[in-house]
Amino acid sequence: MKTLFLIGTAVLTLAQGLDPKAFSLFKLPGGVWPTYNGDYSGRRFSDLDQINQSNVELLKIEWMYRIQGIGPQRGVGNPTIKSTPLLVNGVLYFTIPDHVFAIDAHTGERLWQYDSEDHGGHLVGQRGVGMYGNWLYFMSPDGWFVSLDSKNGKERWKKKVADEKLQYFTTIAPMVVKNHILIGVGGDAMDVRGYLESRDPETGELQWRWWSTPEKVGDQASDTWPNKSAMDHGGGMTWLPGTYDPELNLLYWGTGNANPVFAGQSRKGANLWTASIVALNPDTGKLAWWFQASPHDTHDWDNVETPVLFDAVIDGQPRKLLAQGARCGWFFVLDRTNGKNLVSAPFSGTGNWAKGVDAKGQPIPDPAKEPKENGSMIDMPAMGATNWPPPSYSPQTELFYLNGTEGYGIAYLYDTSDNPEGYGGGGGGNFDTKSALFALDIRTGKIKWKHEHTGAGGVSGGIMTTAGKLLFTGDSGQLVAFDPADGRILWHQRLSSSVSNGPSTWTLDGKQYIIVGAGDTLYAFTLAGKK
Amino acid sequence: MIFILVLTPPVLMAQEGGGRGGRGGTREFLGLGPAPDAAAAKKGEPIYIANCAACHGKTARGGEAPDLVRSVVILHDEKDEEIGALIKNGRPEAGMPAFPGLSQEDIHGISQFLKMQVELTANRGTYGQTYSSLRSQTSGDARKGQDFFEANCVACHSAAGDLAKIGAKFPQAAILQSRFIWPSTPGPAHATVTAKSGQAIAGTVLRLDDFDVALRDSSGEYHYWPRDQVQVQVEDKLGGHRALLPKYSDADIHNVTSYLATLK
Repeated sequence: MKTLFLIGTAVLTLAQGLDPKAFSLFKLPGGVWPTYNGDYSGRRFSDLDQINQSNVELLKIEWMYRIQGIGPQRGVGNPTIKSTPLLVNGVLYFTIPDHVFAIDAHTGERLWQYDSEDHGGHLVGQRGVGMYGNWLYFMSPDGWFVSLDSKNGKERWKKKVADEKLQYFTTIAPMVVKNHILIGVGGDAMDVRGYLESRDPETGELQWRWWSTPEKVGDQASDTWPNKSAMDHGGGMTWLPGTYDPELNLLYWGTGNANPVFAGQSRKGANLWTASIVALNPDTGKLAWWFQASPHDTHDWDNVETPVLFDAVIDGQPRKLLAQGARCGWFFVLDRTNGKNLVSAPFSGTGNWAKGVDAKGQPIPDPAKEPKENGSMIDMPAMGATNWPPPSYSPQTELFYLNGTEGYGIAYLYDTSDNPEGYGGGGGGNFDTKSALFALDIRTGKIKWKHEHTGAGGVSGGIMTTAGKLLFTGDSGQLVAFDPADGRILWHQRLSSSVSNGPSTWTLDGKQYIIVGAGDTLYAFTLAGKK
Repeated sequence: MIFILVLTPPVLMAQEGGGRGGRGGTREFLGLGPAPDAAAAKKGEPIYIANCAACHGKTARGGEAPDLVRSVVILHDEKDEEIGALIKNGRPEAGMPAFPGLSQEDIHGISQFLKMQVELTANRGTYGQTYSSLRSQTSGDARKGQDFFEANCVACHSAAGDLAKIGAKFPQAAILQSRFIWPSTPGPAHATVTAKSGQAIAGTVLRLDDFDVALRDSSGEYHYWPRDQVQVQVEDKLGGHRALLPKYSDADIHNVTSYLATLK
């Protein structure tokens, strides 16, 4: 029996692999990274401070693991690690589409590899595995929910959960909450309807399914759609892991854009619950509240970016908060108990696609800025101001960090018929675009500092902050440590490719590691001479 | 297409990425299966129109009878098996008549016509071709566009000089529009790098990011500096374009596009 970590006085042991109790809201124990975001909050903040501002210059590559023998993947090119590896009992588990790898975290040696044959779906990304006891959960791109034995990578069972022929595809890292394995889906090309499923960890059987659009006319929110057909084909994909507050017993999930993507004429209305943050009961799938970031979205602005949970004092009152840097270019801070809005502010451009915000703090889309046959320009990139790469929140600075893009974009409507299908248009023009690492004030939404790129180079991948007063992310093809307080660069290391996942950290045998994926290679960093 | 998450330039479709583009590349990326047989689809179109369109709609997007573009049966059937059986036997319980008189070739034609409708909807790599005439239409007021041009652009550009025949060079209005708002190929950047010693070297930028600067000077010699040890002055060829970005109304850009399209 191996003692893994302490929470209060309770000792959680891992004789049976990973106890789901290992996941907590804000505590990320040193010797484990048990779920996609580390803890349930999605802050990607670690209490570890062995690596800190005073010694970060000693950070060196301890080992690297390069994916071998897979070659270019269908439609996307060379393997790219977008997953955040789990670290449990000294073993790292990470993925690319169709493949799972188990690596000895001490040495970078491969222990086993699971390969799934390509039978369709989009190989655009794979965010990682979920773990419960000794079992791993993995999504192949073509809609199979697979359970593996973490000891040897052997398949226990698999369940078909999405139909790739309808253009659903599955990239998510399954999320474990109590005895629920939560899985979401992607799919934009054929106007399908989004859903989130909870499945049984032992059998894989369905526990509940929450749909992103109302079932029938007369149901809650069906007045935000013109008819049943529009709801049945309305989109709202659930392709990135959410967050969870155990005390409130609420699951927070982001939903994707409405469909048809750019052509909104057959789905007049706000189109709930697409492009929203929804709060769900994890035991029943019942909706508690919602906040819509991009009502009646016509720009492919998936709102799946991590809804990050943190507590802070606002106007003298301790508050339970949720913040999101949204693909629509706005930063939102909500009360996570009820969804009430505290901050709505654009971080990229002036938010000129909206006419302001409504009583709930939700942007009001300007019909004049919807895609047009002759093009409609907005003062942010047409395809969105940020995307899936994980953001971070540091309780030390009380700042929210994200990698985003600024510039101008134009969107076109192609399918002008009364019943458009598919994308129905397109985003075009990347005018004067530049990427930047943003540090946002959670009380005002104002930019505290910004590390901006013009010309070549750019920020990449996700962000992690630590108690060592460090912020790690990708920049100019390197892994870079910034000072989270002011954006000063403290350390950098060139890698074989740009950082392509969210960095993570843990300790092993008393030594703190930083782990990051760059293209087809996973890198482990430690302090030189600190064995 | 870009899959590494360097956010400049941001080629972000849905979950980022979207294949190497074009019809074939996007089809492969989407996993849409074999491409439809265009010749068979063309032959099948009149047969579809004669037998099916009254209920399923001219482009198969449904009417009195279901949408066939988003049909689970059509999307799953790669070899006409299910479609063929359905057409031959009908679906009496759902009110669909049988068509026993249609030949195997007719059925193949209908099937490929339907597959083509799926292709034109789901495969966004086909949109450029399908909507090329829409993308070539101008909608603005060329006279007002000329006024805007003369007020804002003539310091650097001339309708009779560098932009003569620009309308002929970019016949697609949408492309012309994007090009004048932000020319996508301004050529390699030029910069002057000044070292701490005061020595300045000008040249073509080979690398410029947070950590490294590399130039090739006019004699062809390569130069490298760590970024934090030098001053870098980059020539901004697009300063005029950048300054206009926050000023344009949508009408301005449509008017200028219409004006430039007249320069043939």
